[in-house]
Amino acid sequence: MKLQINNKAYDVEADGDTPLLWVIRDELGMTGTKYGCGLAQCGACSVLVDGMVMRSCVTPVESVAGRSITTIEAIEEDEVGKRVVEAWVKHQVPQCGYCQSGQVIAATALLKQTAHPTDEDVMAAMANLCRCGTYNAISAAVRDLAEEEGAQ
Amino acid sequence: MRKLLFILLPVIAIAGAGVAWFVTRMPASPFDDAAPDETPSAEVLAHGEYVARLADCVACHSTPESAPFAGGLEMATPLGSIYATNITPDPETGIGGYSLADFDRAVRKGVGRDGHRFYPAMPYPSYAKLTDDDVRALYAYFMHGVEPARAENRKSDIPWPLNLRWPIAFWSAAFSQSGVYEEKAGQDELWNRGAYIVQGPGHCGSCHTPRGLAIQEKALDEGSNLYLSGAVLDGWFAPSLRGDHNIGLGRWSEEEIFEFLKTGRNEHAVVFGSMADAFNNSTQFMTDEDLKAIAHYLKSLPGNPEKDGAPWAYDPSSNEALAFGKLGETPGAQTYVAKCGFCHGADGRGQGRWIPSLAGSASSLAPDSVSSINVTLNGSARIVADGVPDSYRMPPFRNQLSDQEIADVLSFIRTGWGNSGGAVSADDVKKLRDRTDPARSEVIVLQMR
Amino acid sequence: MTELVKGLSGEEALPTGEPVNISRRKLLLASAGATAGALVIGFGLPLGAARAQGPGAMAPGTRVPAFLEIRPDNMVRFLSPFVEGGQGIFTAMAQIVGEELDADPASFIVENAPAGDDYGVMEGGGRYTGGSQSVRSSYDTMRRLGALARQMLLQAASASLGVPIGQLTTKPGAVVHTASGRTMAYGSLAAKALDLPVPDPASVKLKDPSEFRWIGKPVERIDVYEKSVGKAIFAIDCSVDGMLHAAVQHAPRLGLTVGTIRNEAQLLAMKGVHSVHVLPGAVAVVAERWWNAKRAAEAAQVDWKEPGPDSKVRYMPADFSTAEFAEKLATAPGDGVDAEKEGDIAGAFESAGKVVSATYYSQYVRHAQLEPPSALARFNQDGSLDVWLPNQAPEMFRADISARTGLEPEKINIHSPLLGGFFGRHFLYEFANPYPQAIELAKEVGRPIKLIWSREEEFLRDPVRPMAIVRFRGALDADGMPVALEAVSACEGPTEALWGHQDGKVDESAVEGLTGKSYAFPNKRIAQLYVQNPAMIGYWRSVGNSMNDFLYETFLDELADEGGQDPYELRLHLLKENARLTTLLKSVVELSGGWKRGPFTAVDGTKRARGIAMASPFGSHTAAIAEVSIEHGEVKVHDLWQSIDPGKIVNPAIIEAQINSAVALGLSEVLLEDAAYEKGMPLARNYDMYPILPPHRMPRVHVRIVESGEKMGGIGEPGLPAVPPAVANAVSQLTGRRIRAMPLSQFKFSS
Ligand code: FES
Ligand code: FES
Repeated sequence: MKLQINNKAYDVEADGDTPLLWVIRDELGMTGTKYGCGLAQCGACSVLVDGMVMRSCVTPVESVAGRSITTIEAIEEDEVGKRVVEAWVKHQVPQCGYCQSGQVIAATALLKQTAHPTDEDVMAAMANLCRCGTYNAISAAVRDLAEEEGAQ
Repeated sequence: MRKLLFILLPVIAIAGAGVAWFVTRMPASPFDDAAPDETPSAEVLAHGEYVARLADCVACHSTPESAPFAGGLEMATPLGSIYATNITPDPETGIGGYSLADFDRAVRKGVGRDGHRFYPAMPYPSYAKLTDDDVRALYAYFMHGVEPARAENRKSDIPWPLNLRWPIAFWSAAFSQSGVYEEKAGQDELWNRGAYIVQGPGHCGSCHTPRGLAIQEKALDEGSNLYLSGAVLDGWFAPSLRGDHNIGLGRWSEEEIFEFLKTGRNEHAVVFGSMADAFNNSTQFMTDEDLKAIAHYLKSLPGNPEKDGAPWAYDPSSNEALAFGKLGETPGAQTYVAKCGFCHGADGRGQGRWIPSLAGSASSLAPDSVSSINVTLNGSARIVADGVPDSYRMPPFRNQLSDQEIADVLSFIRTGWGNSGGAVSADDVKKLRDRTDPARSEVIVLQMR
Repeated sequence: MTELVKGLSGEEALPTGEPVNISRRKLLLASAGATAGALVIGFGLPLGAARAQGPGAMAPGTRVPAFLEIRPDNMVRFLSPFVEGGQGIFTAMAQIVGEELDADPASFIVENAPAGDDYGVMEGGGRYTGGSQSVRSSYDTMRRLGALARQMLLQAASASLGVPIGQLTTKPGAVVHTASGRTMAYGSLAAKALDLPVPDPASVKLKDPSEFRWIGKPVERIDVYEKSVGKAIFAIDCSVDGMLHAAVQHAPRLGLTVGTIRNEAQLLAMKGVHSVHVLPGAVAVVAERWWNAKRAAEAAQVDWKEPGPDSKVRYMPADFSTAEFAEKLATAPGDGVDAEKEGDIAGAFESAGKVVSATYYSQYVRHAQLEPPSALARFNQDGSLDVWLPNQAPEMFRADISARTGLEPEKINIHSPLLGGFFGRHFLYEFANPYPQAIELAKEVGRPIKLIWSREEEFLRDPVRPMAIVRFRGALDADGMPVALEAVSACEGPTEALWGHQDGKVDESAVEGLTGKSYAFPNKRIAQLYVQNPAMIGYWRSVGNSMNDFLYETFLDELADEGGQDPYELRLHLLKENARLTTLLKSVVELSGGWKRGPFTAVDGTKRARGIAMASPFGSHTAAIAEVSIEHGEVKVHDLWQSIDPGKIVNPAIIEAQINSAVALGLSEVLLEDAAYEKGMPLARNYDMYPILPPHRMPRVHVRIVESGEKMGGIGEPGLPAVPPAVANAVSQLTGRRIRAMPLSQFKFSS
């Protein structure tokens, strides 16, 4: 099966129903995408597929063959992603950091789709869990990014 | 624990109380004069085990904690719980003392050896169609292929006088057409085999045929167009198995039906709810020939376009409600994005054959919303195909979403993408929340040996 | 990390290959513009050599080369005795050491130190990461370490420049000879400094706090960038050459063992499966990829056996339910063992104007750290063993591994990657950690093994925070003022669960938060009534305080109401002799804009109320106020104000972040969490049925740090305990319904 990840082509062996997460982590050795629940509950495994966020633990690899996948490893190659990372550093968001790949991906997907997210948008898009409770720092960073975008 | 919301009304027949001989009489069995039990051949044992698979005996007569067929499954009725019995050959607590004729009366007539009548949770109106051969083999299997296990039967929690069993005799007399399945002339062998399994051991009608006031199945074969036309039981909507375009198998080919019963999934759907149990314990073990026969028979049942309504077609305009900037406008849209879309897709179409589409699914098109609500509250049991658990499962959301949130998101789903199931109220959700339990997340493989 | 040092120092690579993914450091170095190999002209000895000098040679925390390495590019590599798991300890260490070393914390690369005597830097010896001890118990030692290193650099510069050491001073990252205007970067002095003996610790003078450049300032955390781009390496991310993956299926209940695996042949035939193994209380599958191992492990049909009469393992019976156990605790006979006693309790109750009795309940909760536990084990050809594992106490784990394998501790290399959250999860709990399994499998298979517990397996074995039933009695005088308080907690504490219960003894970790309160009750008695739990008990963030402050502070509100007192005024009254806590309590009230208990109507039209509570956990003191309303039958927390007095501080930004974090966990506990059991099994095996606080339920958090200058207290845990009671007290006030149990999601409220 052919996968397109971070603008590179890969040929993978996994069965079609294998979650994309494990193909990325084990078969391709990219560990930035995290496993937290395997059940679409936490968001630690978020990746971008054609610019939209997907939770790779519930994404059968077969269903994304041939589509453009971006993982956290390449997030700074994306213009929006780069700004999100900067905001994360500025607002000192991460604590343990385990959920943060997914948080950054989720924020990038949101801001790629809408420069001026409404409260509902933010609530729906930034639903990833963080056991360390970095939620307020995340909202501050996202708000900051949304306003910055608005000024342009 | 499964809660079968089996609505039994023993009161129905109390009026007929006088006729004592009728209600205590032992029905005759063709095996009354059969020679005593002999050690069966391996072939007969295998045949019997296969009939037990077709009839899915294990689903009710075993629990994950019990020995195979030692009983214990709780079925909640509005009157109190009843418990499946020990059908291992243990002489004291099981059916070790049953003769073939006793066994036959139990399976095909619903009468115990001591003459007590079974609650119709036991689908004997369907099993009545079993051939003598199948009954004989089934008996051989239970006597010689199953390990005896000592496990006392648990008394039902139904209080007197509602726990009296004799009125059931009237029920049985009134509603079960006793009689072995008869081949239908003019239909080919495949069709007849399919009809036999579906109506007889497979007892598909127990869930998929609507029931009457006395909880009897309204039809037991294709003679009525109510047969397998979809029904609500046990907190689930069992879809129509007829040619209905929306809530039935109208859009499925015979091959797709076959695939569904064999692997638990196809391009249209993935088993869930009670069907997950039927798949895990029964249909996947059927031979390819039998599954083809079932598919063939089911595809011969016409739909009812009048009842089924305008044929579903995918309507992409609903996706607009899910776009950022619009999420506040449609109740449920935000919940869909945050909780459902990751698996079922931003377009409601699922992911291939692995995660089912909500657009056009029978439960999204069915006027009765129980399945939609139940699977959202409680998730679905793990599907185990060929001994291997599914890669994905539907999680229960009862601890995360309020009644109103579930009502909103289901209303969105059931009216979006061309779905015509209709809105759901918070009250509907609450009712089901109170009387159902979440599916267990661990893999459960009920053993037959 | 040991072999990394070796590798980079040019020593032979290990026969089984270098860890591939333990490359966080290489990556950092690469990003610092250097390439591997050239850069580690160590300031310090390679760690192996440092350790080889053996224990006892120098006091822990003084052998500078065991901790520090300064690179030619002036980057400082520091091995932290304490594990980073989100609490910011790496940054705090960089601040503290950097302060005295005179090196910018931003120039630090911090990693977790391996096991070794040098790192036993806590007061009283040893080290573990927990109890909010890290900074406060090592503060002086780590400052001195920085000062010693600076002294060595000064000595090296003195020799290089040929000037007396007294003429030299430093500026960040460099030695300065003011007279000649010459400076020498630390990086250029490191190689020389290496050969110098470490000076006598007593010979160096520490800075006066008024000169602090970094300590006490909101210095930026040194790890946020890596953590924002997925480059931080956790145990679950580690890999080595030739490694296989493993997954397990645990016995459904603790204490059961494997009888037969019915379908072993089928499992072996599954894709990628290498082998199937029987372990104590678990079946393991080893495979080429974790996903294959996990599916096969799940597919295993196991007949589990009940334990024999001589089994020593904690046993979970098939009929255990938390609901029934709560009953058992509530009705447990006895009056407990005294933990704290003052005055004449019997007399006070006899002469009381009014006696208030109530039973309060706290539930089991899970750690639910986002990173599922894992372990990577590799036996090397030289007879040594490397283990990468999440842990809060490397030496304890090493000792345990030594006991299990029979290997000398020196042959065991403990690697402690970053923790993806911990909250007490990664101590040595029996049957609660994957490393014994990984080691066993690596031995059986003859290849390195990485074992990950799926979330489901984790929730089956995660040791729970204790549940407790506390029987309270309070005596009020004729004016409604409380004069006596008695609390008997039926409970098993985590410390006794770990190390064994001693009859007649109280487990401090079970009652802290009932004990240690500063309210002036002339008569009081706090006692523990030990009742063993079938579930394994563990330390959870703020340990006993996480439940006991809820239990105590909500009962205190009940007492206030029964006596017709305002709960804030009553607390002030009970603390009137205690200036420090009075200041703290007043500060949180001021922070919240003045005491306003409510119910009142907010500008948005919702009906709201506020609750107040205090706690004194881990050497710090806190006071919190919560403002709540009811929305769709659920409690909504709008604002949470918290003041904390930790005595002295190192980084106010980290404190604020930690308070936010503790508030989230405390809210999660009081609003949502309940690790309930039925039929001996946890009802929830993942976040679906065990929801933790989601983003939309996070309130605004307002923090005030009150630096009283008293002895330094903890930071990671103290922010939690006052939160649940503040919320519950607000809800009681708002709804008129007395809250005596967590979580609040079990109650339906009308809006
Ligand atoms: S690991 Fe995918 S959502 Fe949690
Ligand atoms: S930062 Fe630790 S889980 Fe989010």
